[in-house]
Amino acid sequence: MDTSAFTDAFDATTEDVLAWVSDNGEFLFDYLRWLLEGLYEGILAGLEYPPFSIIAILVALAGWRLVGRWFGALSALALCLCFFMGLWSQTMGTLSLVITATVLVLVIGIPVGIAAGFFTRLDRFVEPGLDLIQTLPPYIYLLPAIALLGYGPATALVATVVVAMPPVIRLTSLGIRMTPPEFIELGEASGIRPSQMFFKIRLPFAIPSIMAGINQSLMMAFGMVVIAGIVGSGGLGETIYGSIRTLDIASSINGAIAIVALTMVLDRMTQSAARLGAGKSA
Amino acid sequence: MIAEAANTAEVLIDCQSVWKVFGDKSAAAMRSISERGLGKREILQEFGCVVGVSNATLEVRRGEIFCIMGLSGSGKSTLIRLINKLITPSGGKILVKGKDIAALSQTHLRQMRAKNIGMVFQNVALLPHRTVLENAAFGLEVQGVPKAERLETARQALEKVGLADWLERYPNELSGGMQQRVGLARALASDPEIILMDEPFSALDPLIRRQLQDEFRGLTKELGKSAVFITHDLDEAIRIGDRIAIMKDGAIIQTGTAEEIILNPADDYVAEFVAGISRLHLIKARSVMRSTAEFQNAAPDLDLRSLAHTSPNADIDELITLTMQSEHDAIAVVDNGQVIGVVTPRSLLMGVKGTGGSGLAAA
Repeated sequence: MDTSAFTDAFDATTEDVLAWVSDNGEFLFDYLRWLLEGLYEGILAGLEYPPFSIIAILVALAGWRLVGRWFGALSALALCLCFFMGLWSQTMGTLSLVITATVLVLVIGIPVGIAAGFFTRLDRFVEPGLDLIQTLPPYIYLLPAIALLGYGPATALVATVVVAMPPVIRLTSLGIRMTPPEFIELGEASGIRPSQMFFKIRLPFAIPSIMAGINQSLMMAFGMVVIAGIVGSGGLGETIYGSIRTLDIASSINGAIAIVALTMVLDRMTQSAARLGAGKSA
Repeated sequence: MIAEAANTAEVLIDCQSVWKVFGDKSAAAMRSISERGLGKREILQEFGCVVGVSNATLEVRRGEIFCIMGLSGSGKSTLIRLINKLITPSGGKILVKGKDIAALSQTHLRQMRAKNIGMVFQNVALLPHRTVLENAAFGLEVQGVPKAERLETARQALEKVGLADWLERYPNELSGGMQQRVGLARALASDPEIILMDEPFSALDPLIRRQLQDEFRGLTKELGKSAVFITHDLDEAIRIGDRIAIMKDGAIIQTGTAEEIILNPADDYVAEFVAGISRLHLIKARSVMRSTAEFQNAAPDLDLRSLAHTSPNADIDELITLTMQSEHDAIAVVDNGQVIGVVTPRSLLMGVKGTGGSGLAAA
């Protein structure tokens, strides 16, 4: 049986829908693009304005406060490495993309996670959605995003946000649901109001889990940023994608080293921040 | 005397034939209990419901420590949670300070829990990310008491339980006994009239447990609080409680003072329970003494006034000491200047064995 007619019809419909959305929602997507790029450019400008040494010193200080002396020195060294490989502005581009994406992920993900933690019925819709996002290959998000938002950081951001969203939603909702029952009982026996139950009991117990979610989402964002080089994310992702296309192995390895250095610095720092946030309950 | 005073005090908690049936079909199960008189097993078979508390009736008066004793699964933890409506009863009525708690609005119920009924849990439930002082102030914080004021009140409460030096520590730095003191201080800080104690000392080692039992009783009496105290340990119930209710399979099978329960156990289950309990401090002269007439018939030449005197509330231990010191083998029990009975070695032995006055009369 020839199914090509069916396939063609399906594909045609998909394209029509996308075209319709693109035509009719143009002002909306223009606005979205303006917003995302503005956010990204703002953070990037903040990171590129000071000389390299200031950023390295600030990162070293943060590393020292959050993790320890040695880690502070190491993270400064990692940044120096990026600088001396001639990848400083690309590194900052990637960093601002990751920061922007993570901020958006948290702004959307934490409230959704909290709501899903409270309302089992909502969770029944959220869970399969997250499963779907995590099962599909990340490349899938790039094309429709290009169609709607065009080539550039806005598309990279949207794709990154989608991919990095699931961990923080899952772990926030888990944290909210995992409040030990004896503390719920304590609250009720103390005559607590529902809002107090959330802020004084559920949230404090959920914080370690939420922190772990933030760290996981950040890591996912890093993973996606390289892939997003395909759609013109700028930064290290585009460096690596460009060198792959021209088979420039040496410079692709440089880019990879810079990504790994940056990822490790941020991973350890957020992990420690998570531990400090949860610290008193440990 | 104490028991009589308590009998005239205001009833703070009044549970009238309270039931709790757990399960999806609990309403139908409740109906068939009242209409067809089904038992626990039939309810489980027919409705798949578990009867947690069945037809429990009790009164707790102001200033009284009321112990509910039962083994695990007897429904005692369910019963205590019905009193502050952490669990909603399936049947019956519960009045706290004369108000039907089933009829309270959410707001009034919250106020009642916040101001009138404190609760202490077996697992303590101290918030791990807060200091001891902040934990003790939790109840007041929930009520919206300003910070300085609630911390000061909490500090005073912690002082009462002997933890004044530990205010800024975190719960995980404290031993189990100390954590439970914080739990008690947290309940006391809101100055409730009623304290519900859900097996608070069960997880502690025996020495600390006894110490906390004595402290708890002393503190409750000193502050004039009323308490419902859940325990699976009869010794603890006797040590702490003014009155004791014994629960089995969700039902209260006997309520009374320790002495009443030991002297007149309601059934074999209770009798078996009390068998191992030392009578020395529980049974009073009043319960074992023989009548003066009976004594004078047996020993007509002995003058009652030459005997050592004691009060009706002297326990067996005191009576034994008195007998050893006395030159006669009998002690006169005096109430309001009147000799109301005589304690002989025979009555002492009966007391130690735990048989009451009725047994003696027959002997």
